[in-house]
Amino acid sequence: MWAPSGLRMATKQQTTREATSELSLDTASLLAQEEHDVSIAGRSPWYLAWRRLRRNYAALVSLVVFLLIVVACFSAPLYAKHVAHTDASTNHLTEQVKVGGTLKDVISPGGTFTDPKTGEVRVRPVNILGPTWWQAHGKFVLGADTNGRDVAVRLLYGGINSLTVGIASAMICVLFAVILALIAGYYGGWADWVITRFFDIVWAFPVILLSIALGSALAINGFHHFGINLEGDSLWIPTLVISYVLIPYVGRPLRGQILSLREKEFVEASISQGASSIRVMFTEILPNIASSAFVFFALIIANNILLEAALSFLGAGIQDPKPSWGKLIADGQTRITTAPWLTLVPGIAIVVTAVSLNIFGDGLRDALDPRSKVRIEH
Amino acid sequence: MIRRNRWSWFVSLAVLATGLVLLAAACGGGGKKAATTTTAAASGTQQKTFPNFRIVYDTGTDYLDPGLSYTVEGWEAMWNVYLSLLGYKHVNGPDGATIVPALAQALPQVSADGLTYTMTLRPGLKYSDGTPVKASDFKYAIKRDFLIDSPGVGFFTNIVGADEFSKTKKGDISGITTDDATGKITVKLVKPQGDFQNILATIFAAPVPPDTPAKDQSTTPIPSTGPYQIQSYTPNRQFTLVRNPNFKPTADVPATNPDKMSFKIVEDDSAALQQVINGQADYDFHPIPVDRLADVQQKYGDQLKIYTPANTYYYFMNNRLPPFDKLAVRKAVNYAIDRNALVRLYGGLATPTENILPPTYPQYQKHTLYPHDLAKAKQLIEAAGVKGQTVEVWGSDRETSRKPVEYLADVLNQIGFKTKIKIIDAAVYWTTVGNQATKAQIGFADWFQDYPHPLDWFDVLLNGDRITQTHNNNYSNFDSKAVNTKIAALKQKNKLDATVNNEWKQLDKQVMQQAAWAPYVNRQFTDFFGKTIDTGCYINHVLYQFDFSRICMK
Repeated sequence: MWAPSGLRMATKQQTTREATSELSLDTASLLAQEEHDVSIAGRSPWYLAWRRLRRNYAALVSLVVFLLIVVACFSAPLYAKHVAHTDASTNHLTEQVKVGGTLKDVISPGGTFTDPKTGEVRVRPVNILGPTWWQAHGKFVLGADTNGRDVAVRLLYGGINSLTVGIASAMICVLFAVILALIAGYYGGWADWVITRFFDIVWAFPVILLSIALGSALAINGFHHFGINLEGDSLWIPTLVISYVLIPYVGRPLRGQILSLREKEFVEASISQGASSIRVMFTEILPNIASSAFVFFALIIANNILLEAALSFLGAGIQDPKPSWGKLIADGQTRITTAPWLTLVPGIAIVVTAVSLNIFGDGLRDALDPRSKVRIEH
Repeated sequence: MIRRNRWSWFVSLAVLATGLVLLAAACGGGGKKAATTTTAAASGTQQKTFPNFRIVYDTGTDYLDPGLSYTVEGWEAMWNVYLSLLGYKHVNGPDGATIVPALAQALPQVSADGLTYTMTLRPGLKYSDGTPVKASDFKYAIKRDFLIDSPGVGFFTNIVGADEFSKTKKGDISGITTDDATGKITVKLVKPQGDFQNILATIFAAPVPPDTPAKDQSTTPIPSTGPYQIQSYTPNRQFTLVRNPNFKPTADVPATNPDKMSFKIVEDDSAALQQVINGQADYDFHPIPVDRLADVQQKYGDQLKIYTPANTYYYFMNNRLPPFDKLAVRKAVNYAIDRNALVRLYGGLATPTENILPPTYPQYQKHTLYPHDLAKAKQLIEAAGVKGQTVEVWGSDRETSRKPVEYLADVLNQIGFKTKIKIIDAAVYWTTVGNQATKAQIGFADWFQDYPHPLDWFDVLLNGDRITQTHNNNYSNFDSKAVNTKIAALKQKNKLDATVNNEWKQLDKQVMQQAAWAPYVNRQFTDFFGKTIDTGCYINHVLYQFDFSRICMK
């Protein structure tokens, strides 16, 4: 009698684990082995991928974590308006807040005085409000920065900017990489030569150095060419810089796949039936590289968020007064010995986001093509 | 004068040797302590030499070329490298503003009409490379200032022929005549100028060899005339000063203590402080980070010095560009900023001000034309019809500039503007906003006196007749005919008596009634030393602040 596949899968997993008697982290090969025992007839590749993905609990948990971060960050305007009663840029230098019933300065006045014993000028240092947690009804939960701004609000707004740049740059990068790879791989000849030389030139520069150079130059005067007008503080600047520098890292492997697909019988059959180049590229080849493109997209978001953080930390990414996680780390650096949370919290946000996206990306890769070796390496 | 015989030399040497042995014994087991040698210098002051003074500097060094540098960092490093004909006493307190001869034999002889200054070079002067210093080198230095578009050219336009030379950049400056054989230098002025001796003491007037190219020489250092020469400079990384073998100390330019000064450029204030605490450096130029002050004061109080140089921090507003071409808008900015809030931004080490001149000046008279009033500021913006306009706020990437710029942007947003912040590298900030092509609308500025005279504030920063296309110091492009005329009249006063001081007080108020700037604080600063440094030798000069050359080791 035919048994449900889920039961058979469990049996197979048990058998495999019993046979090897050791823990394997090679999810890809595990899932590939399992496919042999499962009826896949009549199932679409996307259905099979989803079935594999939903069995990968680590990837699903990571996806949930990432979505929680996204929801938390994009709720920043609500939190800022209704809970913290401020925004990301408002300075509260001379204001006071009630913390657990006690009125405290956000930043105390400070000043200098002359020591009557020594006659030396001495300083009465300012105190900057530390984390209030929830004792100030949601105000200054993570304390204030030297401008008297609410750090928790800036953290959430910073998350919006970091995630926006990370996701948008990944989309643009993968889109252009796919188009260039399709043209280069399908047409070959001079088109391939020009595009691969472009990949080589961009590849020749270390990613971080090229990003800093472009980011710094564009941050001052913006980009005003070819009818495009982008101001220096626009989020488009770091987004496009990151997209540009990473195009070869996605485009080259995809071009390799397309070169191989170009020689397959189904492509030749389509051409012989009179299909146009555009039709062959988009209906025959593109679906076959779509899974790789999706995997690259998932993996590159984490990479781009890290790159954006590095650029913003160095002043070549998101510009003032917009916050970002990288900028918050840079801002907190001067107070690292007395207020380490200013650097730790955005640092942890970056790490959790990057790790969750990487685990999910790996899971997606295993689900879409268990034998794939897609990696982002630079 | 006491003439020493051989015996006295022998005794001196024996005492010195004994002293050194005792010093070495005292230092025994103390780790990497530098050897200090104490000798009586030619100038009569006691010299306590030691091998290397390690300084953690900030990124504000614009140039190491005497014709181009115009930052505290540049001048503080170079005032012991490039001497002018005149200089200032190397002493603490107000006496440091006393003008003394440096390369000149004596103070200039000034003609009765105040138009002619005559000086003579000290005989036998040589540059650090051995080339003799000639009287004509002074003239070349002034000409070179014009050729390289020096930010200091405005100081010399009153010399006869300088105006013509500035236009043609060819020929000669007829008002300067020199005689290389006798070392005699004569400078003729178009109009009497009360601060001209101060101007002759600026680093812009320091003689340079005649073959010095008329372009930035920061990385190929110009031979020096002072106690030190620049050995090497890697911009934004480090530079090193070593002794000038041809320098001979005088009573007014005394012998110095460190044999070498190593300047390491560090951007971050915390990292700089930590290097001194860890013993990797001897002196931290940076301000102590706001939240480290209490800790540093408690643990290292005797290594910390707090001082108040003559300075004013302000926001410039470009009077030529909308919306700041309207008086109401400039007034609105002055009403909108909360100066007490800005004091907290500087860790409490500041006092609020809305004056041009700092309180250390006898010409200072506090005025309160613009008490903090956000509602009034909003009304003025509404009435001026500029609400909703986009404004670019400029600042450098140093904390002390970036933070007040972020504050200003927030305030401008509150009164109805849409702001964009432009933060650029500190090393190029002043040349960028001082270039008319940049069209900087509003931004951060500060001023530390070049010399203790109100002209250094009003004539340099607010005289509309001195606005230039590049290296402009009048960032606001403030050009009021009445103010220009008043400055020109006061410039001719040779003495700063009570009547003249009163006129300067009125001018301060007059300028602020037109809201040329939005001044906000006079800052106080910290000097922090390593535990091996003897702060008993500390000299804080009224113009150049901490005198590196006179510090000594314990």
